[in-house]
Order: sequence, then C-alpha cells, then structure tokens
Amino acid sequence: MKPNTSFSNGSVAVEAKEMQVYYGSFRAVKDIALKIPTKHITALIGPSGCGKSTVLRSFNRMNDLVASARVEGQILYHGSNIYDTHVDPVEIRRRIGMVFQKPNPFSKTIYENVAWGARINGFKGNMDQLVEESLRQAALWDEVKDKLSQSGYSLSGGQQQRLCIARTIAVKPEIILMDEPTSALDPVATLRIEELIQELKKQYTIIIVTHNMQQAARASDYTAFFNMDGDRAGYLVEFDNTNELFTNPKNELTEQYITGRFG
Amino acid sequence: MDNMQPIPNQSETTPFPEGEALKNQIQWRHRQGLAWRLLFIAALLIAISSLIALLYNILNDSFGYVVVINKVDPQRLALDVVEEQILNTANTVSSEDDFELANGIANDSNGIGFFGIAYYQENNETLKLLAVDGVMPNAETAASGEYPFTRPLYLYTADAVLQNNQAANIFLNYLLNNVNSEIETVGYFPATSAAYAAAQQRWLSANPGLGLQSGQWVSIEPDGMAGTIRVVGSSTVFPLTQHMLEQYQEAGFAGNFGNESVGSSAGLAAFCSGQADFAASSRPIQSGEIEACRNNGRFPLEFQIGTDALAIVVNNQNSALNEVSTEQLQQIFTTATTWNEVNEAWPAQAIQRYIPGADSGTLDFFAEAVYQTSLASLPKDDLVRLLATNISTGRGRALEREQRFYESALVFEDPATWNEVCAAPAGERPSGCIAEPRTQEEVYDLLLAEVIQPDVVKVYNLQNSLLNRTAIATEAAALYPNGEITFRSWLSADFITDPQSSTPEFAGVRTAIFGSLWVIFITILFSFPIGVGAAIYLEEYAADNRLNRILQTNINNLAGVPSIIYGMLGLAIFVRVLEQLTSGAIFGAVESTASANGRTIISAGLTLGLLILPLIIINAQEALRAVPNSLRQAGLALGATQWQTIWYHVLPSALPGILTGTILAVSRAIGETAPLVVVGASTFITVDPSGPFSKFTTLPIQIYQWTSRPQAEFRNIAAAAIIVLLAMLLSLNASAIILRNRYSTRSI
Ligand SMILES: Nc1ncnc2c1ncn2[C@@H]1O[C@H](COP(=O)(O)OP(=O)(O)O)[C@@H](O)[C@H]1O
Ligand SMILES: [Mg+2]
Repeated sequence: MKPNTSFSNGSVAVEAKEMQVYYGSFRAVKDIALKIPTKHITALIGPSGCGKSTVLRSFNRMNDLVASARVEGQILYHGSNIYDTHVDPVEIRRRIGMVFQKPNPFSKTIYENVAWGARINGFKGNMDQLVEESLRQAALWDEVKDKLSQSGYSLSGGQQQRLCIARTIAVKPEIILMDEPTSALDPVATLRIEELIQELKKQYTIIIVTHNMQQAARASDYTAFFNMDGDRAGYLVEFDNTNELFTNPKNELTEQYITGRFG
Repeated sequence: MDNMQPIPNQSETTPFPEGEALKNQIQWRHRQGLAWRLLFIAALLIAISSLIALLYNILNDSFGYVVVINKVDPQRLALDVVEEQILNTANTVSSEDDFELANGIANDSNGIGFFGIAYYQENNETLKLLAVDGVMPNAETAASGEYPFTRPLYLYTADAVLQNNQAANIFLNYLLNNVNSEIETVGYFPATSAAYAAAQQRWLSANPGLGLQSGQWVSIEPDGMAGTIRVVGSSTVFPLTQHMLEQYQEAGFAGNFGNESVGSSAGLAAFCSGQADFAASSRPIQSGEIEACRNNGRFPLEFQIGTDALAIVVNNQNSALNEVSTEQLQQIFTTATTWNEVNEAWPAQAIQRYIPGADSGTLDFFAEAVYQTSLASLPKDDLVRLLATNISTGRGRALEREQRFYESALVFEDPATWNEVCAAPAGERPSGCIAEPRTQEEVYDLLLAEVIQPDVVKVYNLQNSLLNRTAIATEAAALYPNGEITFRSWLSADFITDPQSSTPEFAGVRTAIFGSLWVIFITILFSFPIGVGAAIYLEEYAADNRLNRILQTNINNLAGVPSIIYGMLGLAIFVRVLEQLTSGAIFGAVESTASANGRTIISAGLTLGLLILPLIIINAQEALRAVPNSLRQAGLALGATQWQTIWYHVLPSALPGILTGTILAVSRAIGETAPLVVVGASTFITVDPSGPFSKFTTLPIQIYQWTSRPQAEFRNIAAAAIIVLLAMLLSLNASAIILRNRYSTRSI
C-alpha cells in the first residue's frame, strides 16, 4: 500500500523524495517521500531506532557531521535539492535551524547565546532589540531580563532549552527542526515548550521528532509515522492530518502503534 | 551489623551466598579494597619522600658554614687607607716609642694623643686623661666593656719555643700565675677569667709531659733556671712584659732576657722568623702573619695576658677638654686643624697630634675603633688607589681596557697609548673605550677578585651547620687558623644578578637566566601556535583516512623519542643547514665580537620547540576531544561555518586544557639539558644575550657544568642554581595558571 504523503491545503516548505540514508553500508532509512507543510507543526513518530532523527537531520544537512553518513535521493527546498554539490550547507542551516534533544547553550552569557548567531550571519539591526524580541518569542524574557550577562548554563534545563529556541529564532530561519526537544525536561517545562511551539508556528514551519504520542496528538498539525523493516531500515508508514491519523489510521501498523500494542 | 535482623531466605536454592557466607564474602571484598588503598598510600608516600629527599639535598648544599681564607684581609686594606690619612694629617708627630709621645704631649699645651693606659699612669702629673663618649677608662669600665676602646693584650709564642726553651716555658707559667696580681701596678687591667683560663689551658696542652688534666693547674718555681728569653713587640705591652720579666728574675730566674719595644707588627714579624721567643702584641695576629709563621714551622699560640683601655690624653694645662666623642676624635685626628673647628667652646689653636707609628698595633686599633670603616664603604678613589698599589701595572692596563675607572682620567694606561688603541675600528676596539666607567661597587668587586681573593677552603652542609655548630668552629679553627668562618647562603641576590665566573665565590646565574628566558620565549613562540594549529587540523578537520592515521601515530611516537636525538636534529638543521638564518647573517645581525655560527638562542629555541611540539599537539588534541560535540552542532545549526564554530566555541572551551598541556610541555623544555649541549650552548659566557642571534647558556646547562667540576664549592652553587631554576619554573607556571584561570572565568 502506498502511504499517503499529501495534505489538503497550503504550500510545501520542504520535501523529501526517494530519500535513502546510509551509515556506511547500513541503510538506516529508505524510500522516504514526505512533504512538510509551511507554517504548521509536523510531528515525526515511530519506534526507537526507526530513523526519525536521521530523517530530521537530513533536512538541514546535519548528517554531514557524521563521517559515514550518506544521503541519496532528493530534499527539495525552494525548488532545488539541498544535497546538490553547489549548495552550501552553511546557508541551508542558516535557513533551517535546529533545536536538539539535550539543551546545548554556548558557554557564554545569555545575551551572547542569542546574539552570536545573528552577528556571525551579518545582522545589521539593533542587537539589543533582536535579543529581547527573540527571548520574548521564546517566552524567556521575563525570567532572564535581569541577568542577561550571566552564563547560559546558570539556567534550568527548561529555560536552557527555551534559550536554545531563542537562539535559533534570532537568525530568523524558515524552518525549525526539533529532535525530541522535551525529552530531557520535566512535565511542566515540557508543557511550556509545547505552548511555545504553538506560538511559533505562526511564523515558522516546525518539524518535531517525538516519541511521546500524546505530545504528537496534542501539539502537532500533521503526523508522520515511521516504522522499520526486518532489515532494520526505517520507512514512512503513514502521513496525515494529526487528527485523522490518530482517530482514523489507514494503516494497521499505525493503529497498533498508537494504541500502544508495539513500540 | 550484628543487631541487624537476619534477612530470611526467600528460596532455599539462591545462587548468592547467604548468612555467614555473605558476611565473609563482603568482608573479603572490604579487605581487598583496603589492600589497594594501603598500596596507593604507600605509592604516595614514596613519591612524597623522594621529593623531600631531593629538596633536602638541594637545600643542604645551598646553605651552610664555609671557611674562607682571604689572600689579603679586606679590613686590613680599609685600615691602611684610614691610617694613611691619619699619619698624613698636618701637625702630626708619630713614633713607635710611647714615652716619646707622652713627653711630646707633656711639653705641648695643644698636644693630644693616645697610647696604652700604662703610659698615662706613669705620666699622670703632666697629662690629662679624657673621657670618651662620657666614660672614663678604669678597671670597672674596662672589665665591663663600657669604655669603648678596651682591647686585649697578647703574648704570642709557639709550641716549638715552649718545648726547646725551658726558660721561656717556665716564664710563661710564671707570668700566667702572677700577672693578675701584678698588672695593676703597671697600669693595665686583668684579662677576663675565661680568657685567663683559656691561656692556662693552652700552656697545659703545650706541656703534655706534666700529665695534668684540663682544669688542673700547676705553678713551677723558676729557682736557678738558666737560659735566655727574648721578647719583641708592642710598645703598649712592653711595660707589662718588662715588669713580669724583672719579677721572674727576682723569683730566681738566673738567665738573661731581652725585651724590645718595636711595635706589634714588627714584633710578630721577628717572632715568626724565629728571632724571638715571644711576640708582644696589642692586637690579634692577622691571617697573613699566621701564614708567615707556619711557613717557618712556627704555629703561633695566643695568650691574652691583660686588658688595655686605650687612653686619649691631652696636656694637663688644657682646661677646655675633659671628654670627647668618637665623632670628635675622627675630626681631631684627620680633618680638623684647630680645636674650635671640632667644638666651638674649645680654643682657636692648632691641634698638635702625637700618635703611634704605622707598625704599631695601637694605631690599628685606634683606626678601627674610631673610624669603623669597612672596605665596601670606602669612596671609589680610595678603592682605586688600593687596587693600583696591589696589582701589577700590566693587569691594571688590561682591566682599564675592559672598562675604565674614570670618565676623564686614566689610572694605569698612558694617554697616548690609550688614544691609539681606541682609534682602532669598531670591531677591534677594547670595550673600555666606550663603556661607562666603573662604579664604586664595581671597583670594590674588582678589588675583591684581584687583591683580596677570598678562597673557600672548606664547606659544611646545612644539616651539619645547624647541628654541629661548635664542632665545626673548633675543627675550622684547628685546620684553618687564618680562615674566617661564616654562614654562607650560596643563593643570594648577587648570585642571581652576577654573570658567570670561573671562581665559584663570584659566579652568578644572570646570563643563564636571561639565556633560559630567551630560549623559552622562542620555544613557546614556535611550538604553541604550530602545535595548537596541528591539533586543530587533526581533531576538527582531518578525515579519518590512512594518511592522517599514519600522521597521528608518528606524532605519538615522536613524543617518546629521547631528547638527545632532537639535539642532533637541531644541530643538523638549525645550526648547520640554516646557519645563515639562525646566526642572523641574513639579517646582518652578526655580533662582531662573538661569532656564534648557528649556535644561537634561536637554534636552541627551535630545537626545544621541536622537542615539545608532539607533547603540545597531543595535549591540545586531548583538550579538543573533550569539547562536547553538541557544542559544535549548536554552532553549525545556527549557520556558522566550521571555522567560526571552532574559533568562537570549541577553542575557548578547550583552551584551559590546551594551556595546561602547554605548561607541562614548556616546563619540560625549561629543564632540558642534553639537546642544548648538542646544539652547542656556550660553556662559559659572561655576556648577557642581546637577542635571538646571541650565544647563550641556560640554567640547566650551567648546573650541569658546575656539577661536573671537581671543586666542592661548584656543587654548592649548582644547588643554588637549582633553586633558582625551580623558582623560575614555579613562577612561570603560576603566571600561566593565573592567566588560564582568568581566561576561563571570563568566557563564563
Ligand atoms: N552516527 C551514526 N552512525 C551509525 N549508525 C547510526 C548513527 N546514527 C544513527 N544510526 C543508526 O541509524 C538508525 C536510526 O537511528 P536514529 O535516526 O537515531 O533513530 P531514532 O531517532 O528514530 O531513534 C539506528 O539503527 C541507529 O543505530
Ligand atoms: Mg532519535
């Protein structure tokens, strides 16, 4: 059965076509075809090890950091393949930002954490204003406005993660990739981030990997369900409107997974 | 444990030990842990105790008593200058005969003079005794030392005399028995009881045939004793010896005696050359005189026979003067012409001085006590004059060409020759033509090296010096009676600021410290950027391919290559092949006086740089590897280039670790010796390095050379240099650590 890979209205922010990712000779994901809707939240779910992070990292060429990783197929972004030889990954990452599983602020001040990315990308405007605005968008401003010169590490885990989000939005990307951004956080901090993501989708396209099905159901507009085969290569099982996927799964595996019968 | 309830077994067939067996098993594991812990403590103790042993060794050699024999006594030189001044003052009459002086003052209402108090007592109708600093000389003030010019009176003889001349031997016994009761009639005061006992003991030791224990005493009757006794020396002591000899005769001595008043110096000279049995002296025998005596087979024995309070006297018509101060005495005998120049209340008449002659111990004593000069405090002119009278003109010329004494006057060289020599082209001109003239301190150092020539004949280590002080003093006195025993810190300010010298007493490490600092500077300049750069390439950029793996393996292996091999490499490359570069010839920087070829600071620095390069690379790689990958990802995900990520985030995070590694590596370089020996560090160099193309030596090279010298004192200065090296290492490390900590707190 061919998986559903389309959505009804709106434009496509980025699209994977016939994508295979290898780590050395091991094929980690295969035949991925996926369109990500602009200014919506797309959740990637599936059992552990099925390649969600691998797919996510493919969208901004973070897989380049893994020496053995190799991407085949296409990822179309504004009409061109980001894996073409003439494409500079630096530019791709400037447009497609990323928030990681574990908060990883720089060992610099809170202010510098936010300002640095903008500065190296040639930001010409009012930096103080940009920092404040980014921190406000990340719902962190009120908590840190009096200690901007303290280390980013002086914040709590949830605050650190919001700082990382502020840092990412300070460079005004189009798409924000989030790889299980709340898995290291407590439930309250998790909820705050989820609320924040809802706010952010007004301006940004968001792709979020989560292993938490409630989170996907609560916080996303679209959901892609991945699974893996006997050869342990991950593939896309089903993609749909989140409501639809959770209430009326087309695929039996999807149904089994969301009802908790495996995974 | 014991009151714990036993945990009931859940099943009979548990695979774990239970009950007693569990307890035993746990105890066994504790014991294993304890054994390991003891082992670690032992290892720590071994490490600490070997460090302590090392430190103890170094300290033991760096401080301690030394016996120094000066070829010329510096105090003697200083007194010569003062005495010359006193003797050359106008209106001064000098004589070795104190009667003459006493008569002179008696007949001159403006006369003033000084001599042994016995001569005053004899002429107290015509003379007037002055108080000094408010104290009158008398038995009490002499015994308490309150009177400033109190001095012992000595009789010197030798074992040989006492054994061969029985008359002299018994006379000394008689004198020691009776001098205390007779001395007041002459006008002098008894010696202290300790000095008296020491004199008796010395006589007993010279007469072992009597079989007496120390502390016992015997008095021998001179009845019918024949023979001849000859006493020569001090005019001060003369009345006392004369009186005792006459008494000796009255007591039954049947032989003859001669007693001559010629001055202490002349007396000691006559005694040492064997012309007299006793030398009477109003001052202690000097090291040169002891030497002269011993050369004649006479080992001088010292007997204090009384105490004098040097009398300052004026004519008894002189009503103005009743007391003088030491400062006033200084003026009276040198600078002042009339009395009222010294004190306004005194008459405006010319001072007439009557003083003992140059051979007299009294003049020596007066000069020392009143003027209290030391050689180091004399003005430069006096020092130059002393130098001129004590070294050959040839040597003086050489010294003057090295560095002149005065800006506009020559001391040794004649002006014509000087102008000719200094007209030579720049390279051949002696340094004295342009160098600043020598300062007072430099002339003093020169005098020390050229004339006084202190020679350390014996050194004691610190432990010995602290624990066996008295034993050392007796041993030194017995072995080197003319030696001076002082506590010496081989590590001193002079040691650090003086250049190298072939005499350990004058050697310093300044040149070596500068050499070490220069070499290390070049080493760091070369190895730090290259090492860190290479590490960044290997850690951050290099793909994991075969070429890079081979590179990495080689770097790791290079870190283990013996340092001498780096020395050979440095010799081949920097000294030989790159000579044009490392000698500075390319830059026109060759120093004309010393062609170092390629054996320069820069060659040494580069060699050590190569030596520590692998260490720096490996340490920096380690530090870079410790930076979490998430930091790199964070940077890259913001659209930073790899270099921006490295520069702004990876390097600052790794820097403390990189610096720690560099500190360790540089510390190793500072202490390296072998490669520098191969590269060609200078073995003897007194000129500070002036730049990277200078010849050089370093502290470890210096230490190495000193330890290989046979004389014991070189070991002492080597130990002192080790302390300097350690201090330098510690301070360099400390400043690097402070820098590092400041940096890592600043980047938060
Ligand atoms: N850097 C890597 N090198 C080799 N294999 C990897 C690497 N990262 C992930 N993999 C493999 O790829 C597969 C997918 O991993 P991942 O994308 O992390 O899964 P998920 O995020 O869904 O748990 C797993 O089998 C994993 O072992
Ligand atoms: Mg994952």
